[in-house]
Amino acid sequence: MVRVLTFPMTVAMAVGLYVLTASADDAQADRVLSIGGSVTEIVYALGEQDRLIARDTTSSYPIEAEALPDVGYMRALSPEGILSVNPQLIIAEAGSGPHETIAVMEDADIPFIQIPDGYDSDAVVAKIHAVAVALGVPEKGDALAADVAAQFATLDTATETPARVLFILSMQGGRIMAAGAHSGADGIIAMAGGINAISEFEGYKPLTDEAVSAANPDVIVMMDRGGDHAAEDADLWANPAISTTPAAQTQSIVRINGLLLLGFGPRTPEAVTQLHAALYGDR
Amino acid sequence: MVTMDTTVPTAMPRPIGDRRVLAVRVIWLSAFVLALTIVASLTVGASGTSLFAALIDWASDNEIGLREQVILFDIRAPRTLMGVLVGASLAVSGAVMQGLFRNPLADPGLVGVSAGAGLGAILAIVLGGLLPATIAALTGIYTVPIAAFLGGWLTTMLLYKVATNRGRTSVAVMLLAGIAVGALSGALSGVLVYMADDTQLRDLTFWGLGSLAGATWGKFAVAAPLILLSLATTPFLAKGLNALTLGEATAEHLGIRVQRLKNIAILTVAGATGAAVAVSGGIGFVGIVVPHLLRLAIGPDHRYLLPASAFLGATLLLIADMISRTIIAPAELPIGIVTAIIGGPFFLYILLRNRGILDM
Amino acid sequence: MIIAQNIGVSIAKTDILSDLSFHAGAGQLTAIVGPNGSGKTTLLKALTGELPYTGKISLDGDDMRSFSTAALAARRAVLPQAAVLAFPFNVLEVVRLGLLSGLHVHDSDLPQRALKHVGLAGFEARFYHELSGGEQQRCQLARVLVQVWHPVRDGKPSWLFLDEPVSALDIGHQLEVMQIARDFADQGGSVIAVMHDLNLTAMFANSVALIAGGRRVIQDSPENVLTDAHISNAYRCNVQVNATPNAGGGAPYLLPHMASIRRA
Repeated sequence: MVRVLTFPMTVAMAVGLYVLTASADDAQADRVLSIGGSVTEIVYALGEQDRLIARDTTSSYPIEAEALPDVGYMRALSPEGILSVNPQLIIAEAGSGPHETIAVMEDADIPFIQIPDGYDSDAVVAKIHAVAVALGVPEKGDALAADVAAQFATLDTATETPARVLFILSMQGGRIMAAGAHSGADGIIAMAGGINAISEFEGYKPLTDEAVSAANPDVIVMMDRGGDHAAEDADLWANPAISTTPAAQTQSIVRINGLLLLGFGPRTPEAVTQLHAALYGDR
Repeated sequence: MVTMDTTVPTAMPRPIGDRRVLAVRVIWLSAFVLALTIVASLTVGASGTSLFAALIDWASDNEIGLREQVILFDIRAPRTLMGVLVGASLAVSGAVMQGLFRNPLADPGLVGVSAGAGLGAILAIVLGGLLPATIAALTGIYTVPIAAFLGGWLTTMLLYKVATNRGRTSVAVMLLAGIAVGALSGALSGVLVYMADDTQLRDLTFWGLGSLAGATWGKFAVAAPLILLSLATTPFLAKGLNALTLGEATAEHLGIRVQRLKNIAILTVAGATGAAVAVSGGIGFVGIVVPHLLRLAIGPDHRYLLPASAFLGATLLLIADMISRTIIAPAELPIGIVTAIIGGPFFLYILLRNRGILDM
Repeated sequence: MIIAQNIGVSIAKTDILSDLSFHAGAGQLTAIVGPNGSGKTTLLKALTGELPYTGKISLDGDDMRSFSTAALAARRAVLPQAAVLAFPFNVLEVVRLGLLSGLHVHDSDLPQRALKHVGLAGFEARFYHELSGGEQQRCQLARVLVQVWHPVRDGKPSWLFLDEPVSALDIGHQLEVMQIARDFADQGGSVIAVMHDLNLTAMFANSVALIAGGRRVIQDSPENVLTDAHISNAYRCNVQVNATPNAGGGAPYLLPHMASIRRA
């Protein structure tokens, strides 16, 4: 019953309310929806932010991005919500969805470009290229990618005695949610010259108390959510499992903004530098 | 002096205590309100697109833009129809369950449908990657709803088997077994959640809250026959459920084949709820609040309660969905949150107002 | 005619009734009496098909097991001891449930007439669960009467099974309800009632079946069953049975015996 009412696409595009410009210059979509914090950062870093018309909830940097309409969480996008902001192009981090919404965008003839994810410097460079190509500005992408790659190249994070780092995502009710292998935290720790204290599982999982002791971390890294750090630290060191670790004895805790730390975008060299300094600065 | 004729002639005097005319009026009214709500649901949305504007364009031979077409026919239409079906099946399933268990607080969740469907969905989300490629290709993006439906269906049938001894189904045993199976599938879900990776975890959370956002014509085509078939049996259940209010033995004495009634009722609920949960996730409160409200308005006669529940359930779910997709537009609030926020306090208010009638 | 031959009922592997025989005829009010736990209600439930039994029960010549649920519902109605409703039905709606057997669906004011018959005219819109116990019992009786309104239908008797029909009633309503049952029998129907009150039994029953311990049944006319010896044997207490002075045949009546109270 739907298809019967479908009009020839060319006519529809010519008459569509906001689609008029598309026929003039297909390569330059002027209404871009950016999904995913790192994608949005890259769009800003490319200087193409004027073309952004909306963003998702995870896109909170730079601060100006927060002024854009928010179409919701990147994995629970509402199809009509997206259409209501009239995008001509959607650039999304891998894992955005759900599938049904992406299918509707195809029906509506709106390109939905997914940017592959990854947790190392090559992945960041590849992301920048992909976003720039999607925006139709590959030369700008080349320049930014070269710049970021150069920053990566200057990083010297090698150490003789790498620190064992435990990344704690959250401590709900005393239960420690930690980062295992193949996670963003694992990637950034490695880039900063540390060793992830947890390698037994992948992704983020709750840890038993004994596993915390066994992990034997020298430093604990958490995301900086603002708030009273002194009180949080007191709670952290009071946790029986953590209190036995070297990290507790030296009171070594690093807090870095989550999007900076785990975003894997143009600011990642900066994140690596910060983390490396925090891990080894006093040595 | 004028003598007054006190006998007012009426075409068909209704005896006192007869709520049937009122019930029929309420059914017509709720059907009418549902029709209005459907139109509203097609008209309201995050985008400014309006059904009326599109109709006017269409009537005056102006072409409708592709964007408007997609919003009206590929987003709002399947979503609205799905909302009607899901709302109706949740409310009717609730009413049937309550009649069967002779308990106004019974819920399809009690017979393991929801728990089983939840387990099925979680299995599909977490372990879907392990499916043989041929099956995965066949089920495609419908793997999760299909798994949810099968999970709900199988759990209900298992419970039913456990509770049936020598051809007699004990409703009490089924209820207790339902609690046990609910706990078990909760635990299994917990294990699977532990095994899940990040992305899967987020999928699980959003599935659990329930939403009509994923409604597509494809899902509608999968769910609609099941739900409609299940709802089609309910007119044949109504008299039996009325008799059952007096107890199983008395219902049998009144000529109701109670075991057959139970068979059909449980199949109906497993089918309707399983399909509804499969396409929209867990949406609470509709199944309890709607029949309750209607019993207060028109009485507990299932011949009227069941159709009225279908209309009112569909209406309430559509209204909740309209709120869920506009209140924080362009983002969307899961509908389960909306029904709980509206349903919870409203239900408490109704309970407070009607303690006399309900306290029996 | 209902004839039960050598029937046995066991619940959870315990024999409640064994090798017990019983009969009840058209035009009669047959009372089942006996002490607590003797199996009165169990016998009634076997007779209505509610409990599985061994042995044979025939209804007007046909094996009870050969009847469909619907066919039985058209022939007999059962008044349970007490009924708690799950939902707020009003009195009229409860009585209307008696129409479910499908016999009198077109007789639209039958429920009202039945309510009047049991003295509940004007109670139609009241909620069942707000009635007193006695009113609930009479409301259920009205429902049962609606199910089998005609004592004789198509030349066959209708059957009323009453499980302690007057247990919650005051003396006035006891007499009223027993009279309704007796009228039903007198008009050609058949009533089987489980009774606790031996005086009412003596006044209204044509036939009395006295059960003791789920086995022994003494079934005969009230004068022959309700005797000093049978009653003291079955109920393990001494009572003295007298004869009413004014009634024609001299119906037996019982008064609690002071001596037996002291001994207890």
